[in-house]
Amino acid sequence: MTRTEFWQGNIASAEGALAAGCRFFGGYPITPSTEIAEHMAAKLPKKGGVFIQMEDELASIASVIGASWTGARAMTATSGPGFSLMMENIGYAAMTETPCVIVNVQRGGPSTGQPTMAAQGDMMQCRFGSHGDYAVIALSPASVQEMYDLTAKAFNLADEYRVPVFLMADEVIGHMRERIIIPDSVAHTGRPAFVPGTPPFRPNENLVPGFPVFGNGYGTHVTGLTHDERGFPCATNPQLHAALVKRLVDKIESASEKLADFDIVNPDAEQVFIAYGSPVRTVQQVLHDHPDSSIGFLRIRTVWPFPAHALSIFKNAQRFIVPELNLGQIAREIERYAKVPVVSVPKLGGELHTPKELWKILEAGA
Amino acid sequence: MSFNEWLRQDRLPHIYCAGCGNGTIINCTLAAVDSMGWKKEDTVFVSGIGCSSRAPGYIVTDSLHTTHGRALAFATGVKMARPDLHVVVFTGDGDLAAIGGNHFIHACRRNIDLTVVCMNNQIYGMTGGQGSPTTPRGCLSTTTPYGCTEPAFDLSELAIAAGANFVARWTSYHVKELERAVKTGLETPGLSFIEALVQCPTNFGRRNKFKKVADQIEYIKAHSLLKAKRDRMLEQGEPIPEDMYVVGELMKRSRPAMGIPKKEAAP
Amino acid sequence: MKLAIDETRCKGCNLCTQVCPYRIFKEGKHPNRRGIVVPELDRPERCTNCRLRHLYGRQLCGVCQLTCPDQAIHWVEEEPYEPHKVAIEY
Repeated sequence: MTRTEFWQGNIASAEGALAAGCRFFGGYPITPSTEIAEHMAAKLPKKGGVFIQMEDELASIASVIGASWTGARAMTATSGPGFSLMMENIGYAAMTETPCVIVNVQRGGPSTGQPTMAAQGDMMQCRFGSHGDYAVIALSPASVQEMYDLTAKAFNLADEYRVPVFLMADEVIGHMRERIIIPDSVAHTGRPAFVPGTPPFRPNENLVPGFPVFGNGYGTHVTGLTHDERGFPCATNPQLHAALVKRLVDKIESASEKLADFDIVNPDAEQVFIAYGSPVRTVQQVLHDHPDSSIGFLRIRTVWPFPAHALSIFKNAQRFIVPELNLGQIAREIERYAKVPVVSVPKLGGELHTPKELWKILEAGA
Repeated sequence: MSFNEWLRQDRLPHIYCAGCGNGTIINCTLAAVDSMGWKKEDTVFVSGIGCSSRAPGYIVTDSLHTTHGRALAFATGVKMARPDLHVVVFTGDGDLAAIGGNHFIHACRRNIDLTVVCMNNQIYGMTGGQGSPTTPRGCLSTTTPYGCTEPAFDLSELAIAAGANFVARWTSYHVKELERAVKTGLETPGLSFIEALVQCPTNFGRRNKFKKVADQIEYIKAHSLLKAKRDRMLEQGEPIPEDMYVVGELMKRSRPAMGIPKKEAAP
Repeated sequence: MKLAIDETRCKGCNLCTQVCPYRIFKEGKHPNRRGIVVPELDRPERCTNCRLRHLYGRQLCGVCQLTCPDQAIHWVEEEPYEPHKVAIEY
């Protein structure tokens, strides 16, 4: 039996994680994500899991990666300043192919910025924030329901692709209270199986290696150095490094169509909104107020890898309008693929776009 | 049975320079681990970055070679998620005291059931001999070309102050004592910190008038002051020379610890 | 039992010459094929572990092995003593 609740977005995210079988949370308090840590602190011990408040975000993500190697589904939650600190070990997780889930309830930046206001300024940081080339998966919820669903989904993707998966929420979604329908159970895909006796970092057909859980006598050496299939450092071998980094990126980029999660409204429209996260709600209001088929809408849930093929669905598109709570981070990514002009509608300060603002943009283009 | 069974024989010889003391510390630690009768599948070695932290790559068990300074944070995650695993951390002075200082004091405060073996060579060896927080005053390094002007960190005192259950300091000369200290550390619930002074002939000795490895070993040996003797000297009001390293079992207590398997934790 | 130095691992640091209570290890004189001067053994039969290990049934002393940073020192079992027939010519 499904049940209905009236929850805050952050609580929904924590509950989604618990439903997905998350059994380790390493965190550090930071507005506006703290409710996730508080909820996990209350609930995890009752489910046989571990909550630990670490000394900083560097340690939070480090403990999450350590726990993940023991086979536990592990996560942390933070916001901009903590996210910046986590970058070092996010690169480590990408290099060592450690499944982990990081919830970033975005707030205004740079630096301490606006702790209690919404923003989407970390969208590029989550993709490129750590040094070197790598690829990650980032999901963007636009409702409390999606905080629940996408958190649960993030664990499956992290396990399946052995990669850090980000839930890029924002303060509005995190602190909003909404009706949410709790499913009986959520899908649970495990990590790719490891065949004992084979090299621990030898990739399967989908470029993802099996996961050798610690404590089974596999004797796996895990290092952030460039490593060969056996997991041993080979930092001065140019071909090996090139092949390793290429694989780390390819395993995500080549699955971009499979990973893509988006909704299409009015595919024949000439003016098309593209949005993710809380601006989705403003666009939905515009569509609600003007229920004609002249306004198209592409709402993206999987921001990274960017679902470029979705743009070609809008065959008559004259221009793409991209409202974002930043200075056009994803709009620039869309420009790389779009064959028609892309209009970025940035908004800083922590408030959402008003429907009127978006309507003005539409009228100006008509 | 000997410590050699814990080493990946196919990975040896290791990358350490001739005369580096890190190999000695690995031997002593593995000999202690071996004498505990632990299974290889139940033991995990964790390390950060630096010369000392390459050690787990030569050990047959599951091992995490992590980012600079964060070894204790990773180890905390491993230990809390699987308290039944035995977790041993290899770290160095730069890794533990400089970039990882915060993780160190908090791991000691939590008193999480880890054994931390710190190979203190008083220098950043991997990057070519820069001054570290434990470089003694007056010593030369590439970043202290006129002699180190900063007072050095006493890591064992720090661990005691922060709350570790077991703290000992020995040197790469005192192999038997070190092996025994590591074993006591492995047996002690809660955080055990074993500081091992090691020689770094390439980057420390070469710049500080130790022409041969043996010279530095002789120096370390001559400047080791047993804790019992130190205590006696304190009683008699004698001054303790500044350049002496107090060696021995510096602290053993039973503060409440974290990360202990439930069945053992029950009284 | 017999002391042995693994020449493929020894880096010639001569730490063993310092720690052996019997001074069995002596600094070598000639570099080997890898250019490393491996220590020489001076009457290794004096080694405590070689002599008494089987009697006590456990590792004795072993400081050289623990100290050797390159894991190059070990003990090997000797071939059992085989009596030779000696033809005595009158």
